[in-house]
Amino acid sequence: MTSLVFPLSRIEGHARATIEIQDGQVLSAHFQAMEMRGFQQFVLGIPAEQMPVIVPRICGVCSTAQHVASVKALEDAYGITPPPLAQKIRELLLLGQLIQNQATSLFFFTMPDRLGTATLFPSDTEKAASEDEKARSRIATRALMVRKAGTDLITVAGGQFIHPIKAVVGGVNSGISAEDAGVMREQLLKALPVACELFDSYWEMSLALRERIGTWGDDTPTCYIACTSESFPEYNGDLVRIVGAQGDVLDAFPPRLFRSYLNFQESDYSFAGRTDYHGEILRANSLARINMTHCMGTPRADDYLARFQNAFGHPAHAILLYDLCRGIELVYAIERAADILQQPLDQGDTAVAHIPRDGEGYGLVEAPRGPLIHHYKIERGLISSAEFIIPTVHNVRAIERALEVAARRYINTDRVNLELEQAVGRVVRAFDPCIACATH
Amino acid sequence: MKQFAVLQLSGCAGCEVSLLNADAWVNTYHLAYMPLVISVEDIPNVDILLISGSVHTNEDLYKLRQSIRHAHQVIAVGTCAISGGVAHLGDRDEVRQFFLSQNERTNLPYLLPRSRPIDDIIEVDRYLPGCPPTPELFMAVLDDKPDFKPGASVCSECGRKKDKDIRPPSLVGIRKGEVWPEICLINQGYLCIGSSTRGGCRAICTRPGYPCVGCRGPSDAFIEKESKAWFNAIQRVFTTMTDIPPAEIDASLHSPQLALFLFQFSDYQGQIRPIRPKEKIL
Repeated sequence: MTSLVFPLSRIEGHARATIEIQDGQVLSAHFQAMEMRGFQQFVLGIPAEQMPVIVPRICGVCSTAQHVASVKALEDAYGITPPPLAQKIRELLLLGQLIQNQATSLFFFTMPDRLGTATLFPSDTEKAASEDEKARSRIATRALMVRKAGTDLITVAGGQFIHPIKAVVGGVNSGISAEDAGVMREQLLKALPVACELFDSYWEMSLALRERIGTWGDDTPTCYIACTSESFPEYNGDLVRIVGAQGDVLDAFPPRLFRSYLNFQESDYSFAGRTDYHGEILRANSLARINMTHCMGTPRADDYLARFQNAFGHPAHAILLYDLCRGIELVYAIERAADILQQPLDQGDTAVAHIPRDGEGYGLVEAPRGPLIHHYKIERGLISSAEFIIPTVHNVRAIERALEVAARRYINTDRVNLELEQAVGRVVRAFDPCIACATH
Repeated sequence: MKQFAVLQLSGCAGCEVSLLNADAWVNTYHLAYMPLVISVEDIPNVDILLISGSVHTNEDLYKLRQSIRHAHQVIAVGTCAISGGVAHLGDRDEVRQFFLSQNERTNLPYLLPRSRPIDDIIEVDRYLPGCPPTPELFMAVLDDKPDFKPGASVCSECGRKKDKDIRPPSLVGIRKGEVWPEICLINQGYLCIGSSTRGGCRAICTRPGYPCVGCRGPSDAFIEKESKAWFNAIQRVFTTMTDIPPAEIDASLHSPQLALFLFQFSDYQGQIRPIRPKEKIL
């Protein structure tokens, strides 16, 4: 038996893929998370109300989603509902997270696979730069500008763009002044055409890639999991939904019931475990959400959605379509945030009063990578148990099966096609796993 | 053109995310290695090596030792690399046991029982503090401008007024009910350590009413001292401003639970380390 080991880059955190083969037959494919964070252990004994400041540090990429999920878990435990203004500002936070994440994944993680380069960043320009290099440099600069619109939105709504602090138990700690909202909105409106232009060229590049490799990723269809509403995008929802391969709704449940639907298993070859749904493989992240969406609700995103569904059907299943779905969401998030910023965000209550109490709470948000659940038990005001249910973990089985399918495509009894290394990278990046979160 | 590389050890990637926001380097410096955004196997020779995260696995140790051979200047980036950071919450027996118990898996890096700062292993030329460091700080280290002024303390950026007539008799915990605007959080009985924490964050926590947990590390006045000096200074602030019994403050400061980032000063592995002179800290 031979093990082919592929270190992975252009993903969040440390991971590798290992494919075991014998006589040209693919025996297995494993996705290995190579680090262990330990938050589940070391938050024990922390005052419950300090959690929203600590848990963003699980992951610098997903810190906003972790922050909001944490606040929602405490609100569930204390039995309070934040006022409408706070809900709006939290939606802005999650939209900022989505813009930042999808722009990073789309342009900095996966676009180099379409360009056939190691990175989007230009190499040493003191040497005579080729036309290709110059073009890449222009893409990088514009991609950073789109991404920055997302991080600046998090700063406006959350106080700082990594490890934000403005969501508090009961609401948010301040509104957004009309002046700040106006400036932010201008910035988003400037980023919108740039994002669309970059996404259009990404789409073209993806078609060219499809031509070259002959597939969009030919794994069989499976179930999808997301916390979004029945027909349109929603990232601050209260129900986790599971739809089947035909788009049929199989289940919808509140976070406190997740154990009845999701089965978690530790694995001995990875610091992250994996989840299944009654034995079925699950897929989370952008493709899952787009498969549950009939209408984005903003004009340019709806154009892209129609174009996507005409080309690939509804629901769509091919692995590399994850990346295109990220583009649709990027455009949506910019448009939607610009809409919200037009509304008054400094009028009305920012938070409701609350009395901390002991008990148990669940917090759910749709993070860029899928439904994220925090579950805390509180005794004498201190955390006595904490669980983090991480969307990347729901995707592990799907990643491994897709890797097996890719391996079979490029391995036969005579030889291993070296395209396999590229294929492994493309498959893993399509799922945009986050290892820091997965091993929390 | 200056070449630089970014090595990420065990951490959250927040420092890398912050670096991506400092977009001014894109056309002025050559980023040669950073696995988050570049697929390159090995670190090439570089002028500046930025290292984020703490040493938490045997693989971290190996990568760290290998990487510095290729670097002219080594920079410890962020609280984890400088002092172990949030992972130091894990410096308790039950957590050490937990990490060790995870090592029964196969073909994975070996987890060390506790997380260590990088200057416990290698020589560091400069420290870039913050959780994460701001994009401006990243540019300051790359540009190496001699006139760069780092932030003073969080307290000096906060703008809340101290009131000598309000002396709380005990701590009120993290956040209980309404916080008065404009009045110092210590007057209100919160365990805020902004008085001795490095500024530069524009006091984004304390202004809206969240007590400072010290995520950016000690201010210049304490940087080359031991943790005891920091604890004593905080103690003095509370003795001057409140009637809270010193034992209560002491217990709160030393509970890993309440004082997330107070474990800034790692006790190194049984060796006496040279102090970190101020000029090394950006």
